[in-house]
Amino acid sequence: MKNSEPDDVLGAHSRRTFLKSLGTAAVTAATAQVRSVAAELEKVNAEKILGPGPVPVTLRVNGQALSLNLEPRVTLLDALRNYSSLTGAKEGCDRAACGACTVLLDGQPIYSCQKLALEAQGHDITTVEGLAQDGKLTKVQQAFIAHDALQCGYCTPGFIMSVTALLKWNPRPTAEEIKHACAGNLCRCGTQPHILQAALEAAGVKVQSKTEVLHA
Amino acid sequence: MNAFAYATAHSPGSARELVANRGLYLAGGNDLLGLLKDYLLPAPQILVNIKSLPGLNRIERGEKLWSIGALVTVAELERDAEVARVFPGLRDAASEIASPQIRNVATVGGNLAQHSRCWYFRQRDVPCLKKGGDLCYARHGDNRYHSLFTGNDCISPVVSSLGTMFAALDARAIVLRDGKEMPMSMAQFYEKAFTEPTAHNSLAPGDLILRVELPATRRRSVYVQVSDKHTFDWALVSCAAAAEVEDGKLKSPRVALGSLSPVPHQVEAANEFLDGKAPDEAVVAQAADMILKGAQPLEHNAYKIPLAHALIRRALRKLGGEA
Amino acid sequence: MPSWPTETRYLSHPVPRVDAAAKVTGQARYSSDIQAEGWLYGMILRSKWPAAKILSINLEPALKIPGIRAAVKVREGEFTVRFYGEELAAVAGTTKQACLDALHAIEVQAEPRHEFVVHEDDAKKDDAPQVWDGVPNVSRPRTTERGNVDAAFGECAAVIEGFYTTPVQIHHPMETHGHTIFWTDDGLTAWSSTQGISSVRDSLAGALGLEHSRVRVITDFMGGGFGAKFNCGVEGILAAKLSRAAKAPVRLMLTRFEQALAVGNRPSSFQKIKMGATADGTLHAFEGENYGTAGIGAGAATAGGGGGADIPMPYLYRVPNVRVKQWEVAINAGSARAFRAPGNPPASFGMECAMDDLAVKLGMDPLEFRLKNDPVDIRRREFQIGAEKFGWKEKYRKPGTSPGPVKIGVGCAGAAWPAGGPSRNTHGEAQINPDGSVEFRLGVQDIGTGTKTVIAVVAAELLGLKPEQITVHVGDTNFPPGPGSGGSTTCASVSPTVYDLCQKALQQLQTQTGVADARGENWFAACKKLGVTPLVVHGNWIEGLSTRPAYGVQFAEVAVDTETGLVTVRKVVAVHDCGLIIDTLTLESQINGGIIMGMGYALYEERVMDDLSGVVLNPNFETYKLPGIADVPDIEIVLLNMPERGVIGIGEPATVPTAGAIANAVANALGVRVGSLPITPAKVLAALGKVPAPAASPT
Repeated sequence: MKNSEPDDVLGAHSRRTFLKSLGTAAVTAATAQVRSVAAELEKVNAEKILGPGPVPVTLRVNGQALSLNLEPRVTLLDALRNYSSLTGAKEGCDRAACGACTVLLDGQPIYSCQKLALEAQGHDITTVEGLAQDGKLTKVQQAFIAHDALQCGYCTPGFIMSVTALLKWNPRPTAEEIKHACAGNLCRCGTQPHILQAALEAAGVKVQSKTEVLHA
Repeated sequence: MNAFAYATAHSPGSARELVANRGLYLAGGNDLLGLLKDYLLPAPQILVNIKSLPGLNRIERGEKLWSIGALVTVAELERDAEVARVFPGLRDAASEIASPQIRNVATVGGNLAQHSRCWYFRQRDVPCLKKGGDLCYARHGDNRYHSLFTGNDCISPVVSSLGTMFAALDARAIVLRDGKEMPMSMAQFYEKAFTEPTAHNSLAPGDLILRVELPATRRRSVYVQVSDKHTFDWALVSCAAAAEVEDGKLKSPRVALGSLSPVPHQVEAANEFLDGKAPDEAVVAQAADMILKGAQPLEHNAYKIPLAHALIRRALRKLGGEA
Repeated sequence: MPSWPTETRYLSHPVPRVDAAAKVTGQARYSSDIQAEGWLYGMILRSKWPAAKILSINLEPALKIPGIRAAVKVREGEFTVRFYGEELAAVAGTTKQACLDALHAIEVQAEPRHEFVVHEDDAKKDDAPQVWDGVPNVSRPRTTERGNVDAAFGECAAVIEGFYTTPVQIHHPMETHGHTIFWTDDGLTAWSSTQGISSVRDSLAGALGLEHSRVRVITDFMGGGFGAKFNCGVEGILAAKLSRAAKAPVRLMLTRFEQALAVGNRPSSFQKIKMGATADGTLHAFEGENYGTAGIGAGAATAGGGGGADIPMPYLYRVPNVRVKQWEVAINAGSARAFRAPGNPPASFGMECAMDDLAVKLGMDPLEFRLKNDPVDIRRREFQIGAEKFGWKEKYRKPGTSPGPVKIGVGCAGAAWPAGGPSRNTHGEAQINPDGSVEFRLGVQDIGTGTKTVIAVVAAELLGLKPEQITVHVGDTNFPPGPGSGGSTTCASVSPTVYDLCQKALQQLQTQTGVADARGENWFAACKKLGVTPLVVHGNWIEGLSTRPAYGVQFAEVAVDTETGLVTVRKVVAVHDCGLIIDTLTLESQINGGIIMGMGYALYEERVMDDLSGVVLNPNFETYKLPGIADVPDIEIVLLNMPERGVIGIGEPATVPTAGAIANAVANALGVRVGSLPITPAKVLAALGKVPAPAASPT
């Protein structure tokens, strides 16, 4: 839908062919020279200037490869929402301030709105769509449902990513640690108290509602 | 954002070449991408990814000197057990920066070099002094977040939490300029922001922060800040303090304040006054008076004076061992 | 006479939201997620001047940007803009990047006016620049009087005078305003982020000259509105025009920056209150003067109305002698729109602060003072219940007597939501399929309040089924129409409608299948007898199952650091009633939400304008501060279930008293009043006399 032609494919091809032709000669000096040339070439290859027009970008999202053509200025959030159909991560502010766009990069929560898509290459990206396996909701997702830790739901994917990431490295967090981990996620509907409960429950801490219902 | 090209550098030399006079370095990107999204900088033609530069993402713990690479993330700083043990104030400063998502990508170098957070500077349609315009809008406008001490017409304060803590730790940034490594104290690193309205720090175009070196003396360190909110909110005032403590008395103390001045605000006379003294109520109050002497409150930021006073007293008391 | 069942399996129980799974898996599609075939990205160009005459807009350079497929102006010819952010033009293109570049390419010729006002006190001055040519910025005052207030003050044992102010507050729902719109041979379809599919349809149809029947509006999931998302807005009209010009679907969602400028806000208030009571603590006289701003006014640029700056004064408590005078002040800023309990949070704040101030002067416990003057029995009971749960008697101390430097204080405030009531114009359709599956279709919206779940719970209860067995469809103008989601009326509108549908469905089922009572165990067997044709019934709202108003009280405990000024809300106890509780789980969420929004109003939120440039200084979440999870206190809720009162709404009463309770707790802690919201550390320190004057001559 947003595809455009990648540029300069030919240059990369010639360099690869040349490198292959260098072989593996054992003479020290020659090897050193070869290595330094190869290193130079590898460096030049790596320092290849991409863009400003669209370039091929391959993202590994939820275990699947996503092959896109994107300008360097396209953010990861933009790539997910507008260049593919992964609309789970939301745009709340596009300024790294609200957390609705939170995804995991190698298991760490980041703001996908403030990450260039091409810089997310080579990393494992996890979005909310990638959590449930074979339709089975994770403990965190189930706990969110059970404790009504969502209202309009727009901030929900972001919070779920933050809580999921926390419980991976800290399976039994305190309430303070949960709040610290969720400090970068905003909610306008007011789900925070239920999110805290859900996170505690997902961590195996028994949570009791303190709400009293009186029949007047 | 305007369109830009992108390249990954594998050596500081090639990074410098790629940036030339038409590009900018890209580390974590929290600040840079935000600036570009609001068109606050002359549009760079290329962003040069420096995250692959070798050797800049390590924390090296020496007996006498620590070296924290410029590409070490704030999250790494927050989680490192040795940092927490040896420089607890630095750990605290790191843990209060922004949010987990930001800390996971923010770098030490980026935190130091970040641009002004003044809401006039950040407002795309206000041609303020720092952007090359004629007028500091904040001076006669809403200056509630602005400096008490200024050296030029721009009143935007330094907000780097790490810069403030590093100042109290006598740290030096090692900056690569034209192939040569230049050590800069925090005072030197921010000096230009104090003297020139358009500067955010003393870096020249093409300068690359390599690492921060800190002397590893037996220093205690403390960092406190207060914001309007409890988390994920810029400090109204922050206070970093460090000293050796012997028999309850401070040795070689340093106190630095953030969000009060374009540079981490330090008063040598106050440090000298505190040297050799136990930080009791009277002593810390007097030190605070000395540190805040000469403050020039504007219409909306005078509250920073009692706030800073309180934080200085608390930081010093905590340093001396009071909870 | 219809009545709600007394023994219930689901009603008044905690039932998980029926659309929760879609939300936690990212499957829920909001208007901003819709990806119609060949869709284009839309973006708006806005005025960077707070006041200007726009002479011409040249779209040609924008149309040359690769990827751009359409560009439209807001209007032809010269026109005047009156606030920073007012819409000028819009573009549609294949990428966000193309649109960004296109906006920069548009050439606007303008004559900026250097005279404008962005602060209420400046706008009130006699020589202030006029926001609207020839129209005074200050409206004529509206005065109400009863009794003889001047004489009455003479009869009071204690009189206080206070000045209480509240800022302009921005709705800032997490999903911004916007639509995905596409044209078909039949007309136009809009996937809108809206609280009112019918009003979006009406406004789009009107603006584009289409028959209503050729406009379809769909809102399956939407990310919050709080009163700002009723009509289609300028953005909806622009999206429709772009889509028509480009012959492709257009998704136009506002950015967070734009949200702060142009799509509504809560008016400010500047309340001068003089109030007196007799020696035994009976309120006797009240004189109030209030002004506030609704921006350029609830008129030209507003969508949804209800944004005027007037507030109900005096609020809640019984006073026999009253004089109230109110004005509205225009400034060059975006107009106000209805915002969760319009007028009530500021009114509550002013009144509740005055109540505490007067109680202190009388030497009376503020709770006792309220009980003495509260005319509503239910609410007096709520105060008592809440006081006990909160531990008011143990916690209340004379103001400022908590040992410092971190002082603890307590406060309380009451709520009422008198306005609004169920909408009689609620219709619905229920379809019973031969396999026993059930579908309900109502043209209402679920804006995060849990409307879909309400429908499922009521239907499950009355049909003897489980909520999971009820398929609920809302948010489509193809469905039988219902009211917009506002005024805390939706629950009370849909519940009786679903009741009617269930009664009719059961009746029809009996008639068609001969099964006397198809509910519960008999269900599947009975439905099977339908053969091949599903049963469809139409229903609407019926009398006797819903009422109004709702009340409520909240207690707050705060810790105030008197050295730094930082306020921490430690605990809130809320006691609320809303008639028959449909679902205690979603009700808790609503109350939590109201409290947290009220806390934001009390401590963090304000729109900040700059005098010199006329811009909004905080058009982002960095400096327009919303409560984070660490700011949220321990909240304890007591729900009064009153099935005999029928179904009532809760969304708004839940947010009314919070700021007053917190402000009173702060005053109780400090022994001195901070009468201005938000209560920031700066204001606390100033109230404590710790802030020096600005330097004599800032260089």
